[in-house]
Amino acid sequence: MAKLKKFFRYENVGMLFVLPAFLYMLIFVGYPIIRNIILSFQDVNAGNLVRGTKNFILFDNYIELFKDSVFTTSLWNTLRYTVLCLVFQFVIGFVLALFFSQRFSFAKPVRGILLVPWMIPVTVTALMFKLLFATDIGVINYILRSLHLIDKNIEWLTTPGTAMFALICANVWIGIPFNMILLSTGLTTIPKELYESASIDGAGKVQTFFKITLPLLKPTIESVLILGFIYTFKVYDLVYVMTSGGPVNSTHMLSTYSYKLSFEMFKYSKGSAVANVLLVILLIVGVFYIKVTTDGEDA
Amino acid sequence: MKKRKITALLTALAVTAGILTGCGAGGNESAPAADNAPAAQESAKEESGGEAASGGEAQAITIWYYWETEGHQVALDQVIQEYNGSQNQYEVTAKYVPFADFKKQLSIGASADELPDIAILDSPDHASYVEMGIFEDLTGKFDVSNYYEGTVNSCTVDGKLYGVPFGANCLALYFNEDMLTQAGCSVPTTWDELMETAKALTTDSVTGLALCSVQNEEGTFNFVPWLWSTGATSYDINNENGIRALTYIQNLINEGVMSKECINWTQGDVMNQFISGNVAMMENGPWQIPTMQAEAPELNWKVTLIPKDAEYASVLGGENYAVINGGNVDGALDFLTYATSEEKVKFMMDKFGYISADKTIAESQFAADSPYQPFVEELNYAMPRGPLAEWPSVSDAISLAFNQVITGTATPEDAAAQAQATIDGIVK
Repeated sequence: MAKLKKFFRYENVGMLFVLPAFLYMLIFVGYPIIRNIILSFQDVNAGNLVRGTKNFILFDNYIELFKDSVFTTSLWNTLRYTVLCLVFQFVIGFVLALFFSQRFSFAKPVRGILLVPWMIPVTVTALMFKLLFATDIGVINYILRSLHLIDKNIEWLTTPGTAMFALICANVWIGIPFNMILLSTGLTTIPKELYESASIDGAGKVQTFFKITLPLLKPTIESVLILGFIYTFKVYDLVYVMTSGGPVNSTHMLSTYSYKLSFEMFKYSKGSAVANVLLVILLIVGVFYIKVTTDGEDA
Repeated sequence: MKKRKITALLTALAVTAGILTGCGAGGNESAPAADNAPAAQESAKEESGGEAASGGEAQAITIWYYWETEGHQVALDQVIQEYNGSQNQYEVTAKYVPFADFKKQLSIGASADELPDIAILDSPDHASYVEMGIFEDLTGKFDVSNYYEGTVNSCTVDGKLYGVPFGANCLALYFNEDMLTQAGCSVPTTWDELMETAKALTTDSVTGLALCSVQNEEGTFNFVPWLWSTGATSYDINNENGIRALTYIQNLINEGVMSKECINWTQGDVMNQFISGNVAMMENGPWQIPTMQAEAPELNWKVTLIPKDAEYASVLGGENYAVINGGNVDGALDFLTYATSEEKVKFMMDKFGYISADKTIAESQFAADSPYQPFVEELNYAMPRGPLAEWPSVSDAISLAFNQVITGTATPEDAAAQAQATIDGIVK
């Protein structure tokens, strides 16, 4: 009896509550990740997926990848796409959040409408932007021509540099509401009294922003940026629909290249190696996120 | 403290798990890269659903196919219903898998042992799956002696027959007859004539020629006729002939008679541009004809052979039936024997806008003035891609080279050299 009681001590009961979630994670998250890691150390292709021996070739897949220019391009693309998207999403989202935190008659409904881009399925958004950026029939070229900003249609999606720009535009449009809503929520947690006393003390708008809003919003900002990084970094559908990694492999991301290797070219092991590079980077960011959020709780 | 680190690590895993499970706050249900597991589960569910529905003692036979055209689905379904009504032993059900997911589903199915009994797949992929060892050897079980050689080759590996051609198609040149007459041009038969005609047909709102140039198998399908016409082969590009083909396509872009947008146009998009009157000539296949007749009955168009450089060339397309070796082989063979009978083949080919892979059927399939007739003639010049287990990698190199010259990111010489280096690494 005493033993049983000891077993059901506070911490142990806690562990029991965690168990279902832990098992779920182990089966549906842990297992695929481990399988994927094993796969990336083998030489699995069309020939030996079902029969034959799967040789362990250790890091050969990874070594080959880093010699593969398409892979290094996708790695660089994913990084620069993520960083640029984050910067614009965050800044515009922040400005909108500040704007809508003001009290005016349509603030709430308009803020609701601004959420729409976030709720539309990404494939739909991608198709929409693909048409907007089309060379001959696209609205963007039409507007630019009407304003006499350009004489000749810009080949947005068929030129390597501008295709990436178009992708970033589309994703910024999707990401703004996400940033805006989280930052708005963060703003509401700042007590109004602080602003009142600041204004009594004679602080200006700019001073209030940098001395009160930003410091108090720091935990929210960190969460928004890190979550944003993770969601942006694993982009797939937007790129697949808008450019499929083209023109000439110039907009391949780690995710799209991994898919291409695995399911279009039957190089399963190489494809999983790319996915693992993606995993490792996100894991680092994830650990960083946990560290930042738990430190915040301690304080 | 240690415990917290573990919790932190696990949570980190949960956060990153999004890439493997495809869900997460992205709010998108359509992340095909990642949701392998759910997709496989779904297909398993549907299969078992099919079995349950069949009831009785009839054995369930499942077919996977990727045709999205409604007419294709209805025609296949009708043949299946007739077959199910004709006997009690087997109950056939067909499942649509989108083309973009088809290879993925077969690969996942192969490793998870959840495959259909019959797959109707794109012919250039056939060899890869034979290599994978999931197809039954059908040598001697079907009489394919009257079939077009190319179609039979596409499902033959090491002299053994691993499939039955479903139907054949190839690419040819469509032209807008009104535009051609208006510009006072005759039907082009050589590359030089094609260039002149395309220039004459190009106006502010119309581009002379379009061909699907996406950087994947679909693009390769549209590029190889130009490559082969020069005498170059799929494996031997870095020579005078291969470079000439690349240069020609680049010139089409540089002269403004073909839009660079073609690299984002599927064959369906190209057809839409053609029937909207934005394009005067296009390279496309016979399966577009039913749609074109339905959507643009007024449009006055004709089909001719793809103009030649050194010799006429086209590319063989179409699907093959394959029997999965772990499934219900007897049932699958029984259905295939039924479906490949002359009467059923004729019925399906007509509904599909396909040409029968059986030469004897194909030759009498269409009237002399039918728009399909030029495709029957073109079929004589059509060659298959591969068959080669590594074809997807060769194809990637070819479509990349053409995309490089179209976008101007490489000269024809550099593109050819680069493609050759890749291909040499695959085919020794």
